[in-house]
Parts: sequence; C-alpha cells; structure tokens
Amino acid sequence: MFGSAELSALHAIVGADGVLCGASVERAYDCDAYTVDRSKPTAVALPKTTGEVARLVRWCNEVEMPFTARGAGTGLSGGAMPALGGLIISTKRLNRILQCDIPNRKLLAQAGVVNSHVSKVVADAGLHFAPDPSSQTVSTIGGNIAENSGGPHTLKYGVTSPHVLGLTLVCPDGEILTLNRREQTPDLVSLIVGAEGLLGIVTEAWLKLTPLPERTETALIAFSTVRAATQVVSAIIREGIVPAALELMDRRILEAVRMAFGLEFHPDTEAMLLVECDGAPASCRAEIERVGELSSGALDFRLAKNEDERSRFWLARKKGIGAMGRLAPTIVTHDGVIPPSRLPEMLEFVYAIADEHQVGVANIFHAGDGNLHPCFYFDDRIPGTVERVVAAGEAIMRRCVELGGSLTGEHGIGIEKIDMMPLMFTEADLIMQSWVRRAFSPGNLCNPCKVIPNQKGCIEHRRRWRGAAT
Amino acid sequence: METDNLSDLTAACIRCGFCLEACPTFQITGEETESPRGRIYLIRSAETNKLGWAEIAPHVDRCLGCRACETACPSGVHYGQIFELAKAKMPSKRWRSSLLRQLTDVKRARRQFQLAALLPGRKLPSFISRLLTKQPTSTRIPRPQELRNYPPLEGLPPIKGQVALLRGCVMDALFPNVHEATIRLLRRLGFEVIEIRNQCCGALHAHSGDLQEARTKFNQLVTSLPRDIVLLTNSAGCGSHLKEYGATAQDVSEFLYENGLVDALKMSDGLACRVGYHDACHLAHGQGVRRQPRELIRSVPGTELVEIPDSDRCCGSAGIYNVQQPILAKHLLDQKWGSIEFAKPDIVVSGNPGCHAWIEQARAERSSSIQVLHTMEFLEASFSGLFD
Repeated sequence: MFGSAELSALHAIVGADGVLCGASVERAYDCDAYTVDRSKPTAVALPKTTGEVARLVRWCNEVEMPFTARGAGTGLSGGAMPALGGLIISTKRLNRILQCDIPNRKLLAQAGVVNSHVSKVVADAGLHFAPDPSSQTVSTIGGNIAENSGGPHTLKYGVTSPHVLGLTLVCPDGEILTLNRREQTPDLVSLIVGAEGLLGIVTEAWLKLTPLPERTETALIAFSTVRAATQVVSAIIREGIVPAALELMDRRILEAVRMAFGLEFHPDTEAMLLVECDGAPASCRAEIERVGELSSGALDFRLAKNEDERSRFWLARKKGIGAMGRLAPTIVTHDGVIPPSRLPEMLEFVYAIADEHQVGVANIFHAGDGNLHPCFYFDDRIPGTVERVVAAGEAIMRRCVELGGSLTGEHGIGIEKIDMMPLMFTEADLIMQSWVRRAFSPGNLCNPCKVIPNQKGCIEHRRRWRGAAT
Repeated sequence: METDNLSDLTAACIRCGFCLEACPTFQITGEETESPRGRIYLIRSAETNKLGWAEIAPHVDRCLGCRACETACPSGVHYGQIFELAKAKMPSKRWRSSLLRQLTDVKRARRQFQLAALLPGRKLPSFISRLLTKQPTSTRIPRPQELRNYPPLEGLPPIKGQVALLRGCVMDALFPNVHEATIRLLRRLGFEVIEIRNQCCGALHAHSGDLQEARTKFNQLVTSLPRDIVLLTNSAGCGSHLKEYGATAQDVSEFLYENGLVDALKMSDGLACRVGYHDACHLAHGQGVRRQPRELIRSVPGTELVEIPDSDRCCGSAGIYNVQQPILAKHLLDQKWGSIEFAKPDIVVSGNPGCHAWIEQARAERSSSIQVLHTMEFLEASFSGLFD
C-alpha cells in the first residue's frame, strides 16, 4: 500500500525532493548490476543524514514495509534488489566526508561517498584507502562495507574489513548504534562488515588510511597456455613472495580489452598475468626481478616504464569486465574461491562447463588468492539462455566448494547464491546464522530474502523475480 | 556495433555502472533515473513496451547529451545515438521546434538576440519560462559580439590550399569575431577559406530528436560543398555531428595543429597570461579532441596553460538545455565557474559557442576580471594582441 498518506509521511522525513516513485523509478531501481532476478521497489528515499535514515527505518517498521539499502547499485549478487518490494533507502546523498584525521591516518565518511574519492582526498598527504574493488570509481563505501569488498590489492593489504575502524549503524528497528573496534567485545564491527545489509544500514564509517607505497613495479606477463600462467602463480606463492597484486586475464578478456582500450599483446597469448610489487625500492625491485625469473617460460615480460604505462595496464584489468559488453549484450560475473594450488585444474573445468552449457566464458581474476571470476557472456533476449547460464554457474560453485574453497570471495551471496548456501554450510551452521540475524532483525523487513536460505515465502517469489528479468 | 536499432544499441549496456560518476546529472541528484545506465534501461523498457515513452520523457529530457558516459564506458555503448533515437520517439514539444527554427536561421537569430536587449536582465520573462519548463528562467539571452577591427594581415606565406569553414548558425549570429580569428589563423598558414554561409549542419535538431530535419539540413550542407575539400568548424557541437553523419570534417583546432600552427605560434609576439582550457563536451567526449587545443595554447610564448579541475565536465549549456532545464543547467554553471576560479586563470577558453555564451554569463553575473574567449580568438591574439 503506497498512497498519498505514505508519500507525505516520507516527505516529512526527507523532503519532497528526497522521495522518488512512479513507473520509471520502479523500473530503474528493480536491480543492480546483477540482472538475472529483478523486483520493483514501491518507492525510493534519498536521506542526507543518519537521523533521516533512522526515521525512515522506524517508519517502515510502523507500516510494516520492507526496506533495502542501495549505494551505487554496482553489486554483482543482487544485494540491493528490493526482493519483496518496499522502500529503497539510497545512500547516494549521504555523500560527505565528515572528518579527516591525517596525523592518525583515519577519516570519517558517510556511506554514499565513492571509494576512489576517499583516496583522492588524502593523496596529497601520501595516503590512500587500500580496498580497491574494480568498481572503485563508482561504488560506495557503504556498499563496500556491506559486501566486505576485495580487489586486486587485497592479496597484500586485505579486504575491506580490516580497513574499517568503526561505524554508525541504523539497526533494523531504527536504533542508532555507534560501534568501535577497540571499545566493544565481541567485535561487532567485524560482524557488520560483510553482513550484506541484513543487520541494518551503515551510514557512516571511520576508515583506516594506508601510506602510499614508496615504490611500485608493475609487469604484464604473457603465456601461451592458461596452465603455464597458473603454474607461475603457484610458484610465486610457493617462494613466499607477496605481490601487491597478482591477476590473471585469459584470451577472451584480452580480446575485449584490446577492442576497448587498444591494449596490444603477443599473438599467441592465451593468458596474461599482471603482477605488481610495492614497498621499499630495493626489495620491490628484487621481488619483481624474481617474478621475472620464475616466468622464464613466458612469451613476453613487460615492465611498466612509467606511471602512465602502469595505469594503462591497470585500466585493462579494472575495466576488463565492463569491456565484456563488446562480446555480448549480457554478462554474469561469478565469484568463487579455491586454494591457489588448484587453479590449473579448476580453470580447465570452467572452460569445459561453459562448452557443455553452450555459453561463452572469459576469466579475469585475483589469481594470488585463488579468487575466480568466470564471466559468462550471452544474449539474454534469446529464450532459454538465462537458465543455461544459471546451471553452469551452479556447477562451478559446487566444484569450488569440493576443492576446499568458498562460494564467494567478494561479491556476496545476495539473492544470486542463496540456494547454494547448503553446499558450504550444514543445517546447524545456517540455523546459527539465522539466530544472529534474528537478534538484530526480529521481523523480516530489513533486506528480506537475502543470504540465508529457507526463509518461508522466498522460494515462491523467485519465479516472479526471474519473470521480471525477461 | 554498427546499427541504428535501439534494441541492439541498448543491449550493449551490461549495467556495470562505471558511467555513473561521469554523469553530471547523476552527480547532482544521486538518482538512478538521472544516470546513463538508468536512462538506457528506461529507453530499453520503452522500446519493448514495458514503459511508455511519455513516462520516461522527463528523465531523457534531463540528460545533457554531454556524452561523458561514453568516455567512461568500457563496453563502447553508443549513448549519443541512443539518446537521439530516443528523443525522436518522445512526444514532441512545439515550442522546442520553434526555438530551434529561430536559432538556426542566422538572420532571425541575430535579430532575436538583439531584441533581447529589451528584456529586463536579458532574461526570458519568468512566466514564459514557467509555462514552457515549469521552472523559473536563469538563462540570459546572450548579446552578439561587436565586430572587432583586426589589423591588416602582413608577411603571409603563399596560398597552398583551400578549406571550407562552416559559419553555422549560433556561432555566426553571436560570435562573428571567432570566425574572423579562425580565418586569419588559417590564412597565416597559407590556407584560403571558403566560407559556408547561411547553412546549418542540423546538430541541434538531431540533439533534440528531430532526426528528419537533421538529415535534411546535413544533406543540403554537404551537397552545397565544393568537391574534395575539408570542412572545418570551430563549433564542437557541429563538428561532432558532422563526423558522426559521415562528412569529411575536422575541428579547426585539429587542422591547425596538424598544419603547423604550433611553429607559427612560437614565432608570434605571444601573451603573458595564465590560460584555463574548458573541454567542450562535443570536443572531448564527442570527438576525442583534448590534446590539440592544449598544445596550441601551450605554444603561445609567455602563456601558461593551467588545468581547470574536471575540465571535461559539462558546463550545463548543452545546446538548448539551459533553456529547457534552467535549474540543473545553472547548478552546473556555478560548479564550472567554481572550478575555473580555483585554477586562477586570466583567460578561460573553449571551443564551442554554447559553452562560450554560458560561461560568459557566469563571468558577467560576478563581474569577474577573467576573460572568456574562444580558443581561436585567443590564438589569434598571440599575433595581433588582445582586445578589451
């Protein structure tokens, strides 16, 4: 039920220009960057303060309307999809940096601040915010916290969680909690980061700032087989070298990247490694030289000569997934983790599964920590394709778990992988997780139908979500 | 993907969202419906009858058409084309076509611009603006330049070739000195200029979705040109449009850069000043021309080129956008002026009449001492000095 009474209640909280509704709005907000399932919101609110978020949440509780937080909408598992309709609480106007404490290397940002903006603001002080998901030029701090985002430099610097010192949370009942890692036991910050918006809405966060490395060396190494590339990855890790980043791109990604950015590569290249070492000049130099020796069987070893070339190498990696649009109209990027030593066999499995289900697949991923991103490309306007893509994805996830890995490295479970949770967790595990959820969120209003399976009603909704996508 | 099929064009978007922060209207509003990704999705939905064209029209109308999203897009989505095709499907606004008719006919436009002196503050009365756009007006009607007396050209090289220069509509009516400066620079390099008068390329029509009129105007223009001649334009919007429609056209800054103006400038008297360069959207995003004008400015002895932050962010002029969406346009203009002031230039230059007039309004409102010029006027001043 959403009529003029509801509208004026929302206007009273966020002002007339802070509420959006109507057919176009329902459509535009019915999914994020995961497009297989879609569901319309009733309305969208754009608050500017923590207080406004809390009042919105309390109002949703009063009228029993589901609510889902949304940042930039670049999530890849449907975390911002309003599964049961209701209110989308957009953080896009919570976009201020509130405090900047350079001597103590920390900064307080509202949830809607764009990730790369934080690094830009503190660059002159020789600092940066280390988590760097590929979407960092657009994705928000709030979204990064919800998904506990990783990124290429995760290998050395860690995912989002260790970079969050404290946060302000609007709980599912509208209460405002201020959490600080040092003051609370148990460490609730670690629980909230990565909770995918199930336990409330993060509105502000103290972020840890990391000094920029003294020196950075970046190499692009071409191989004639994927296996040869993955073997070098294993060798680097075995040596005990911890590069800042260790990324793999296969031939199909490279072709898309060549079309998009004119990146040239050896004609026999089947896989490319991007290796970055950073730190003190001498050790950094020694590390990259050792990587060069380990890659003696490679077709080509190119070291970035300057900052320009380095950013060109990285542009190809960071926008590689986006460039996939040059190969087909729709892509679904998967996210699974395996022990790095199993990379060679896993990649062969990925190619075989894609062939079997007749969909195109390309691989671009964080090889160093075994975080795979098989990227299926297809035309979703052709009937039956979406189902084949979903089946192929499930087979890959199953294999990840069998090999001792995990269902997700950094994209989250969201709506996409909810059915696969039992692959990894026992029934007791899942019950435990739903207890935690219930402790924060007794009702089913805060981002319903996500992450934890077997919630009554969700299964039947699935058909509607899929239907909305066609 | 070479196609003019909206379904295929919009399907090229994989919804990664990398365009979001490049989009001025998304930056201001934070609304998905005012972002490139959102608009493409809405257009795709209207094309498949899931939404009505009239329903999505307000969101498409709020798009500047600046195409900054194309620069950001890794998938190579042809947003400009999607935008024009979608505009063509929208319910038409009669006042818009009448405004376009006035603007693109040089004589009528000049008369209208002169008559505007009768209006208080050179602004359209608010009741008319509200009638048309439901918003109060913020756009002053620009005053046409007075013709300058440039000194006679001396010591010129022999003629080595001919080029055509599109005098166009808005540029011709408002900024005749820009044409004069352009012609003088070309002549300094040995090029004789054939001036194409009273012809409109149709860019403003295409931008507003009147694709038929755009095509007619384009065809008229192209058939009137002498064979085997390069068509030059000093207006970014025209250049971008002409190239897309397949004409052998260049922005004059590209041509001058390739034909030796850098060396000629180095021999000129020069100007001791700080210059900021504003990237017109249809040069930077539409044609990928960023380097050439900067290199030319740098070659002026005594001149320091200073970078304006976010120099390729739209100033809000965007064709007739500042008449249709005065509130957002004004917001962008104020942002732009803030960035210009941050760089502390003595002169700010750009390569498009729309930006020129709109940024000049910001200057006039603040009685700033920063001078607003077209790139060609500035470069010519290196030879013949600045006018006050």
